[in-house]
Amino acid sequence: MTPMIDVVFQLIIFFVVTADMQQKAIDESIKLAMAPHAKPVEVRDPREVVIEVDNQGRISIARTYMTADFLYTVMRKTVADHGQSVPVVIRADGGTRHEAVRQVMDACTRAGLWKVKFSAVKEKAG
Amino acid sequence: MKRRKRQRDTSGESGELNMTAMIDVVFQLLIFFLVTQKPIDTMANLDVSRPSPESRQEQMQTPPKMIRIQIFPDGFTINDRPVGLSEMEGLLVRLAGIDRNQTIMIMCAAMSRHEDLVRVLDLCAKTGLVNLSVISTN
Repeated sequence: MTPMIDVVFQLIIFFVVTADMQQKAIDESIKLAMAPHAKPVEVRDPREVVIEVDNQGRISIARTYMTADFLYTVMRKTVADHGQSVPVVIRADGGTRHEAVRQVMDACTRAGLWKVKFSAVKEKAG
Repeated sequence: MKRRKRQRDTSGESGELNMTAMIDVVFQLLIFFLVTQKPIDTMANLDVSRPSPESRQEQMQTPPKMIRIQIFPDGFTINDRPVGLSEMEGLLVRLAGIDRNQTIMIMCAAMSRHEDLVRVLDLCAKTGLVNLSVISTN
């Protein structure tokens, strides 16, 4: 019995730690605006590109900061790889000025992505 | 040798697995995860479309039937009439009653906060309007 329990614990810890790692890619300091009536996110498209804008107006993808011009290059590459149906999600801080968000939207539009989604919090946990 | 080992094993808790150490470790793990875990908020997505740069010039001449919501750093207007959030909701409910698929043009000033845009989009989502177009103004 004892070796089995040891192995099971090792497995549990392994999965808990690796599940945690998947969430590291998003910036926790971004305070999203509330949208209690919007439709909740049920399934995530694996192709989804999440672009983050923090409250200073800095643009980042997966914690990598970049300029709007570089974002355009990235988005153009994404469109070339996956087509124009790639979902783009903008995770912008509620206190960000619209001009920073505009730069992101303009870069997406120039790359041929006309539809974007804004991420918001539907319901706060706890 | 063999007998001594058996003796040591049985000296604990009559031949059964000693659970005390395991329970200690499990509680430690449980407490660790409870403390470090952050509750996850329910997320929502708000879909908008963006006019392409070429059609932007045409839309500046504003087709008369379109609903224009403008967002400024200090307030909102619908078709150039200043409104509060609750008044806007009333108007949007009425508009949605007529036609849910009509295009709403949301013109957002550069210095307005993103929060206000999300607030307007949320109202549109609440009333069921789906064709939302976000345009940036200076």
